[in-house]
Amino acid sequence: MTARSAVRVPGALAVPPVAFLAVFAAYPLVYVIGLAFTDSTLARPLQRWTGFDNFRTALESQSFTGSLWRSVLFAVLAAAVQLVLGTALALLLRARARRPGLLGTLLLLPLVTPPVMVGVAWKLLLAPVGGALGGVLHALGLPGVNPLGSATGAFVTLVVIDSWQWTPFVMLLVYAALLGVPDDLREAAALDGAGRWRTVRSVVLPYIEPTLLSVVLLKLVIGFKVFDIVYVVTAGGPGFSTTTSTYDIQRTALQEFDVGGAAAATVLFSLLIGLVTSLVAVRRKRHEEVAV
Amino acid sequence: MTTLEATGETVAHETAVRSPARPAARRRTTGLTALLAVIALLAAVPVLYVASLSVRSRDDVLNGGLLPSRLFWRNWPDAFRAVDLGHYIANSWAVAAGSVVLTLLVAVPGAYFTARAGRRGARLATLVLSSYCAPPVVAVLPLFYLLRNLELNNTVAGLALVDGLANVPVAIWLLDGFVRQVPKEIEEAAWLDGLGTWASLRRVVLPLISPGVAAAALICFFLSYNEFLFALSFAQDSTAQTLPVLLSLFQGDKNVEFGQQAVVSLIGVAPVYVLAVAAQRRLVAGLSSGALK
Repeated sequence: MTARSAVRVPGALAVPPVAFLAVFAAYPLVYVIGLAFTDSTLARPLQRWTGFDNFRTALESQSFTGSLWRSVLFAVLAAAVQLVLGTALALLLRARARRPGLLGTLLLLPLVTPPVMVGVAWKLLLAPVGGALGGVLHALGLPGVNPLGSATGAFVTLVVIDSWQWTPFVMLLVYAALLGVPDDLREAAALDGAGRWRTVRSVVLPYIEPTLLSVVLLKLVIGFKVFDIVYVVTAGGPGFSTTTSTYDIQRTALQEFDVGGAAAATVLFSLLIGLVTSLVAVRRKRHEEVAV
Repeated sequence: MTTLEATGETVAHETAVRSPARPAARRRTTGLTALLAVIALLAAVPVLYVASLSVRSRDDVLNGGLLPSRLFWRNWPDAFRAVDLGHYIANSWAVAAGSVVLTLLVAVPGAYFTARAGRRGARLATLVLSSYCAPPVVAVLPLFYLLRNLELNNTVAGLALVDGLANVPVAIWLLDGFVRQVPKEIEEAAWLDGLGTWASLRRVVLPLISPGVAAAALICFFLSYNEFLFALSFAQDSTAQTLPVLLSLFQGDKNVEFGQQAVVSLIGVAPVYVLAVAAQRRLVAGLSSGALK
């Protein structure tokens, strides 16, 4: 904590990360704002000032405005589902042992699976013809279903697939936090006559609340980035029911080649993300201040 | 973390009560192990189903069922014949390996700075982490033009560059925790012994954080190897396309070859699973270092 120390930190060490920020944060931000206010093609960017025309295009686009709301819904739903499931798994894993062990690693594998492959696997699993789900239902004498056929079904399916991939991440972070809960705390609760569930709810979970809030924030940020499984599993459909903003922007820019419209959409999407994540960040900050 | 200490002190130190019933505790552990094993097995179903598809003929797939009625190995040689799989595998590995080198070159000095440079370090950390909050799609168009001006569009080097930069915040976030664990006294001692700042960084700090560097390298390798948005946007043809892009191209086909698609999926995922299991301790320590900070 003390700033006074014999060890000197050479400023040169900050050069690579600052260069990174220039190329990967400042430049894209400035450039994308420039693209949003000008007329551009993929071949020739920034041709002439067009004011707010691109923003008008973006907001009038049938797919984009809806995609903003769908992105928020997706990120919030996915974060909520994964927080609950991940915490439950972490509690089970912690109750079992102080080390995650091989079982923990096996539970972690969905996280490292390439998301495109995750999408392909689930798509095959759910295929109306030749899919495992259909096969199982048929064997049970039940009628087949096509979860990807309806708007709600497809959206829910994407949340399920995303949760398959990301619940292990939440599990691991919460597990690590659980290892930091002092044993005396649990024992004191037990002495006070609290049962196992009561101890978890009133002592353990409040204790790791800062971690839980961090996890929610991180998961919201990650949820807004969802692209791969949308591209592979639903291609944004049926209709626009699973068109999230990232998917819509990529398609507008690199498949429809509307650079200005995509840039304006990007700016609006970034503002929205900033708004949502800062709501959680403020809550987290307040929590930290109270704790100090 | 201040919250940890604060709560810890408010609890009176009661005499520890250890659970007396040892056999009951062991039964509970066995039960939990069984329960978690079942969950792990259920979670593996999508991947196991892909494995089953990889050894089934087209007709066998369409007949439904979870398991092959007869093993059909021909999908494997057929998949290699249908596309130049070796080329895509090479691209994927080159992009991932190249990007990891770049990420570490930026993130190792960066994490030392964020962890040790007091308020300036904290400010840099905040900036780097907030850059991670912006979704990568924000950078797609600007980076497209940047790569084109550098003549790196549609090249493996270009993808490695972009992925390498994209992973810097993750690597700094992971490594910062490992640097903080190095006792300052060790560095001060090295400094008093006449080692210059740079020599002490290289010969004292770097070896001590090497487990963290390995964990960060592993995680960033996975991220680049799995990356899809940039690979799809910046690799227009097979020159630089990676395995995830190849896999996504199967989707466009009207006549989807389930078996071959399954083979490509398995080939793509196999190295990741092998690395993850082989280096499980590193992976877990690396991923959880952020939470323990």
